Amino acid sequence: MFRLAIEKALNHLINVNNIDLKLIDNKIISLRVDEIDLGLFFLCLNSRIFVIERLQNKKTDVSIVMNKASFLAMFEGSTLEELLEAEDIEINGSVNTAQQLANLLASSSIDIEELISQYTGDIVAHKIGQAFRQFKEASISNHGSVISNIKDEITTAIVAPSRSKLFKGRY
Amino acid sequence: MEKTTHFGYKQVDVEKKQGLVKGVFDSVAGKYDLMNDVMSMGTHRLWKNYTIASSNVSKGDHVLDIAGGTGDLAIKFRKKVGPTGKVILSDINESMLFEGRKNLLNHGVIDVDFVQANAESLPFDDGTFDCVSIAFGLRNVTHKDLALEQMFRVLKKGGTLLILEFSKVENQMLEKIYDLYSFNLIPKFGEFFANDEDSYQYLAESIRKHPDQETLKTMVLNAGFEFCEYHNLSGGIVALHKAIKA
Ligand SMILES: C[S@@+](CC[C@H](N)C(=O)[O-])C[C@H]1O[C@@H](n2cnc3c(N)ncnc32)[C@H](O)[C@@H]1O
Repeated sequence: MFRLAIEKALNHLINVNNIDLKLIDNKIISLRVDEIDLGLFFLCLNSRIFVIERLQNKKTDVSIVMNKASFLAMFEGSTLEELLEAEDIEINGSVNTAQQLANLLASSSIDIEELISQYTGDIVAHKIGQAFRQFKEASISNHGSVISNIKDEITTAIVAPSRSKLFKGRY
Repeated sequence: MEKTTHFGYKQVDVEKKQGLVKGVFDSVAGKYDLMNDVMSMGTHRLWKNYTIASSNVSKGDHVLDIAGGTGDLAIKFRKKVGPTGKVILSDINESMLFEGRKNLLNHGVIDVDFVQANAESLPFDDGTFDCVSIAFGLRNVTHKDLALEQMFRVLKKGGTLLILEFSKVENQMLEKIYDLYSFNLIPKFGEFFANDEDSYQYLAESIRKHPDQETLKTMVLNAGFEFCEYHNLSGGIVALHKAIKA
């Protein structure tokens, strides 16, 4: 489910801001966060990003492996260069490409609290979420209520089917 | 080429299947929406909402909904692509297209194009669409591999294919309940609401003859798609296969 939320948040950001994706166009980027067992592949094609969970016999162009702390630091605006200097992260492939993905993730409205708690189920996630929100409020312009839009759409899809036509008295 | 194929649980000549399927949908067209709500207890709307949410479709996109029938997906796609986008609803069956047009007008949707076409030979240029969808349609198609190749062909590079279809239930207990429901109740509902037990018997049988999740995924990859993932909905009663042309 979070795969879908991330995909929607990234593409919303790209569409609203008309972001040029040339650095990541046609690239497959893998992102693994040890400790929380999060592993996703980002594929950029046709001016949009696809987030997939499994890759069959495909080579990635860039792979990023990080721990939870660096993952959070990335969301809080640390550049990958900074994280590399601190040796908190491993990148195979172009750092510029990885950085564009990191920028997109950091500026999107992904609810990091929910994301992390999905994988860890711990209270740390709550604290992280608070810090993340404060950071967001302070640093990024608000792109409307993106996250609430996404949440609404996904909630509709999962729990609340629209009313059956049967009850609309059309028959 | 095989000489016979399945039509529900019956074996029929390959050339005859399309006509038999046509008979089923000619017969159910007028009551199709009502029956969908009755048989799935409204859940088909939830499955379709999930399909739209997974579509990665944005403003300006061109979308083709194959076997679109009464147009549930087309209506939702129309909203997503905005005025600069384009949605085509295609179906092999004129009666279903007729009901689709009525349904769209009832929803105030006028800017969707209708095309009568067999999924096995789509009348569109290569690389035309950003997204192609087929909901509860593929299991009725005689040559599914041909249809998948056509879907691949008409998609742009980076285009998305969405296949929403009944699939293999994951849990044995649920499978038993589901079997009871589909083989005993669905044909009866068909008789009661639509006076057509046979068509609904076919629909229940055709679900069981459809390839399971992994088999369909392999077929999609064989058609040329580079990526394909599926997500089970309602315990695998239905699965959404999402594939990308890279
Ligand atoms: C169960 S209905 C699904 C309608 C709609 N997509 C929905 O989800 O409500 C199946 C549709 O597939 C269409 N169909 C059957 N065989 C087809 C084929 N070979 N090519 C295109 N459409 C076909 C039927 O006419 C029918 O409208």
